[in-house]
Amino acid sequence: MVRAKTDMGNLVRLAGGAALIAVMLQAGAPALAQGAADWSPEVSERLMKLPGDHLRRAVDNDFARSAMAERMAALDEQVALKRATLGDLQRAAQQAGNPELRIELQHEFLNEKRNFLRLMEEKQELRRQRAEKKLALFEGLLDRMTRKRRATTPQQAAIVANQTAARERFESSMSKVDARLLQTAVTSESRYAAEYAKNVRAVEQLVAAINAHPMNQAPAIDGQTFTREEYLRQLVAQAQGQLAIVDQERMILGHMAKLVSLDALALAEGISERTGETEVAARAERNDELTSSIDLFTTR
Amino acid sequence: MARVTLNLTVYALAAAALLYAGAASAGTLENMERERAILLETLLSGDIENHDRHSRIEVARTRLVDLERMVIRDETLIGQNRPAVRAAFDNYDLTFLIHASVEKNRTVADHWLSEMGMTTQSIMNARAGRR
Repeated sequence: MVRAKTDMGNLVRLAGGAALIAVMLQAGAPALAQGAADWSPEVSERLMKLPGDHLRRAVDNDFARSAMAERMAALDEQVALKRATLGDLQRAAQQAGNPELRIELQHEFLNEKRNFLRLMEEKQELRRQRAEKKLALFEGLLDRMTRKRRATTPQQAAIVANQTAARERFESSMSKVDARLLQTAVTSESRYAAEYAKNVRAVEQLVAAINAHPMNQAPAIDGQTFTREEYLRQLVAQAQGQLAIVDQERMILGHMAKLVSLDALALAEGISERTGETEVAARAERNDELTSSIDLFTTR
Repeated sequence: MARVTLNLTVYALAAAALLYAGAASAGTLENMERERAILLETLLSGDIENHDRHSRIEVARTRLVDLERMVIRDETLIGQNRPAVRAAFDNYDLTFLIHASVEKNRTVADHWLSEMGMTTQSIMNARAGRR
């Protein structure tokens, strides 16, 4: 009897804890403090100059070296272990013949579910932060790129137009000048002209090699090539997509937490009435861990 | 291994950045203007014998052709908003004297005088007087 009362107290606290997680998740409140597990990517000139798809890879590599990535990897391990524990507890509770032991195992099962949800909540919060930081970074790069393009003043634009026109006019008269010089000049070709022509051929070869270099291909996503600006916009869209998915998963996690609290209440009621088993219905969630953990939450 | 790869990438990018940054202007416009001024002085000077003037113009013209090409190919001048650059590209016919004169089938002297607004008629109509 004393044991049953203790169980009841624990279960009510458990239901309260799970309900609190559910409320926090559904309200979208920032979960746990992530001070230590941080990642601070910065918009830099170096990132702007990276060729092809190296921009995305550099950002991913930078993240992989961050404290946030370390914490996420640790959480992955903990989540995997917790899932295994939950599976074991579920099986043990289903197979337990002794009602006291069964209630004890169900109680432990619920407790571990709550811990699992806390880990998932922390992981989702980190994923949300990562997506937000990526989004801010790519938007910053895009902004800097468009600002740079718009930085030309009307006077500069007029000079550039003048210079372009001058160059076109110059090109058209160049061969005529050469022909005239050959007729009258003391030397047939100046040293500058000869060296310039030689260098132009060398430069052309090098430029062709650069253009053909595999590391200098246009940025591509899923095999489709983009201009630099389009590529950045695509990365922004991807980061926004990741954020939307994380928000959706947060809702799923909230439903899971609500189910845990309902399970806890049902178990408490079951103990108080001593009626044996109570059925509580359920629903579920996504993400590798989330979707594959649904069974743990939909069955008691 | 990963650190070595990373270092190599950093070095490669730094080297490329240095090389591209190193392609700075060498005052092509100023050099061309100096040479053009010398050519015009040779054209207008009354102290030079005709034969001497002719050979000096020939040499200056060849040199100026190269200098004009250096200016037009100088990418550091693109979009430079300073008076010398603005003036140079606002007056193509006076800046690129040799190319413009050949384009218009005129001698350098005729071309320059014409661009300065001095035609044979206006010179013939001119009267000597005190200022």
